[in-house]
Amino acid sequence: MVNRPSMKVKFFFCILLFTSLCPVFVHSQQDKGLSVFESVLLQETKNFNTHPDFKKAVQFLVEEEWDSTLVYSARQLTVNTNNSELNNYCHFFRGFSFRRKGILKEATAELTKISKDFSFYNNVKIMLGSIAFERSEFQKALQYYKIIDSIKAKNLKGLKRPNIEENIGSCYLHLKQYDIADEYFQRSISLHETNKDTLELIGTYGNIAASYYEQYLDDKAIPYFQKAYMLSQKIDDYTLKLEAASNMAIVEKNRNNFQQAFQYKDEVIKYKDILNDRDRSWEIGKLEKEIAVNKKQEEVNALAAENKLKIAERNGLIYLTTILVLILGAVGYFYKEKVKTNKIITAQKESLDALNAMKDKLFSVVSHDLRSSVYALKTSNTELAENLEAKNLDALDTLLNTNSAIVNGAYNLLDNLLHWALLQTEQSYFEMETMHLFFIVEQTAYNYKPLMLDKKIQFENKVSKDVKVVADQESLKIILRNLLDNAIKFSNPEGVITIYTENGAENYCNLIVEDTGLGMSEATQQELMKDSLSVVKKENKHIIGTGLGMQLCKSMIQKNQGIFSIESELGKGTKMIVSLRKTDVDGSN
Amino acid sequence: MDQINVLIVEDTPAQSQKLSKMLQDNSYHVVGIATTFKEALAIFYSDQKIDVAIIDIFLHGVPDGIALAETINTVPNASKPFVFLTSSTDRSIFQRAKLTQPFSYLMKPFNELEILYAIEMAVEKFYAQQNVFLSQEENTVISDDYLFIKKGKSLKKVLLLDIIYIEVEDKYCNIITEKEKFVILISLTKISKLLNPEIFTKTHRNYIANTQKIDEIVPADNLIILSGKHRIPLSEKHKSIIKKLHTLR
Repeated sequence: MVNRPSMKVKFFFCILLFTSLCPVFVHSQQDKGLSVFESVLLQETKNFNTHPDFKKAVQFLVEEEWDSTLVYSARQLTVNTNNSELNNYCHFFRGFSFRRKGILKEATAELTKISKDFSFYNNVKIMLGSIAFERSEFQKALQYYKIIDSIKAKNLKGLKRPNIEENIGSCYLHLKQYDIADEYFQRSISLHETNKDTLELIGTYGNIAASYYEQYLDDKAIPYFQKAYMLSQKIDDYTLKLEAASNMAIVEKNRNNFQQAFQYKDEVIKYKDILNDRDRSWEIGKLEKEIAVNKKQEEVNALAAENKLKIAERNGLIYLTTILVLILGAVGYFYKEKVKTNKIITAQKESLDALNAMKDKLFSVVSHDLRSSVYALKTSNTELAENLEAKNLDALDTLLNTNSAIVNGAYNLLDNLLHWALLQTEQSYFEMETMHLFFIVEQTAYNYKPLMLDKKIQFENKVSKDVKVVADQESLKIILRNLLDNAIKFSNPEGVITIYTENGAENYCNLIVEDTGLGMSEATQQELMKDSLSVVKKENKHIIGTGLGMQLCKSMIQKNQGIFSIESELGKGTKMIVSLRKTDVDGSN
Repeated sequence: MDQINVLIVEDTPAQSQKLSKMLQDNSYHVVGIATTFKEALAIFYSDQKIDVAIIDIFLHGVPDGIALAETINTVPNASKPFVFLTSSTDRSIFQRAKLTQPFSYLMKPFNELEILYAIEMAVEKFYAQQNVFLSQEENTVISDDYLFIKKGKSLKKVLLLDIIYIEVEDKYCNIITEKEKFVILISLTKISKLLNPEIFTKTHRNYIANTQKIDEIVPADNLIILSGKHRIPLSEKHKSIIKKLHTLR
């Protein structure tokens, strides 16, 4: 029995704390009671949410972070001094927090700072009462509780009247006024019963029983314990069941009913197991949840990785596509270029082919001409030898003349060929200078004098000695040679060839080589004026020619910045007109 | 009048022979025919006076002709007119040949007229008196030592120091030497500008006398007596020459 009081005290104290705190201030109780006070509090403080510190203080209070609540409420107090309601709240929070931390003196100090118009003033009173109770100042506590109890209003902002009654009862019990205490306990019980609040009822029974038991009023205590235990059998709350059973176990043990005490103990163990199981199952649930979360997380990770992979793949595809497009573009471009180049090359090839064909034709005609010339010379030489043997001197002379004519023709052809080649390759020396046309004509005609004499052609150079033209000397000579050659070739014996000048277009001098020979048709003229080397079909088949001479003439005239034209009539004669630039200064014509 | 002395530089004998014949036919005097650069230089610097050189650009396959022309040109007083002969129309060779100013050339093959024309052109260009032989107004080019006169198809020369006096009549000038007397076509302004004033002096509006040939001056009769007993008038306007002559002597 020695250990009984100490055990009891320990036991009761725990119960008392439990009852005096929790039913009144609903924290750490079930959600139902908790929300009443909290929701009221949150609603009431809504207006002050504009103050960040205050808002945080409320938040931490709800979360039971007492130190943080103290810090933020203190901060709010330093900021705000005018709004008494706000200050009241802050003091209230501080008092509340201090009390929960067990610093009762500070809590009392903070709570007494609150003015009476505070909307939670009742709660303040209750709290002060509870603090007083805890400090064993039962009279003081009773005072506070009584004030609240006297308030008839139904809504006590989270306070439950039966709990207050119960607390008053506890006070009286400690003051050893058992009758009054009993009365209050009964009122509390009856209120609970009318509210049909079985859970609260069990708590109240427990508390009452504990109160009595502490005062060693075992006879009064035990029925309450039993009542609590009986009620607890009807509900599913294992915590309460456990409490009730363990209380019974202690009681029976103290009554030395060990058998029953063991039974209760067993029950207690059973409930403990159940609670543990529940905890465990809750833990397992938590674990499962965690696993599930992990699984989900993994899935999410997998998805993210997959996504990453997909993005990478997509980017790769994009790059690949871009590169492909670029390559395609480049290929297309080069293909286009190639097609263009091919076109140019084809065109060039065609023109080259045409030129080549022309050259081949020219080649064949030239070689044919030369071959005929050489062949004629060969036959002539044989004849010459025969005549020499026969000492037929007259025939010799004629033959020699023929030979020289043939050689002359061949030479002219070769000369033209050479100059043509030089002209094509731009190899020849070319310099335009002022020159006296008369002398050039004289010098050129000099070579043809014997030929013309032979054909009895009358030649006249009517060019004035004063006429000067700008031209390249050698090419002008070639032009003149060809024109004269043609004139002689197409002249009848005893014809007339005249060379003279006329004023042409502005700053131009027309050099005209006129003959009274065969002339030519319009078609032939046009053919001659064509810009291509046409190997001409001659109207006079016995007078052969390549047309090379004429082409050379035209090219040379062009190079000398001159103009070439033909006036001709079949049977009457031809005028070959070469327009050359006069000297700009002293062009005395 | 004397013949023009021509140097032919040509490595092909057939061509040089033909050219030589053409020149001699037209009363030119062929001083020599060189076939190499060395030979040509030897003749050029010999005692024989050369008036014109006809140079083939290619001597034995190398363009020594141009080198020769360049060499001749480097000696200012000894340089003479020359004509390039070439069968090549190669551009680069002509570009180089052209640098040997004054540049005149003749393309092979050529005829008589062409070579004569080329020589005349070379002389004209060399003495910077162009359009003389080709025009109808003039026929004489004056160098430091000679008059080059076109006579018919040919060119002749007269040593300036041989002239006793010149009598001007319109566009004509009578040239009187010790041996002969002939007419040339040249303007008075040109002749008085180009003749050496130290030697030739105007005595009268129409007379130019070689001061070295003056034998006697008779101021009273306004007369100058020259060697060969030629008498020319001395006008009042030109009497100042007497003093000049004295100082000269």
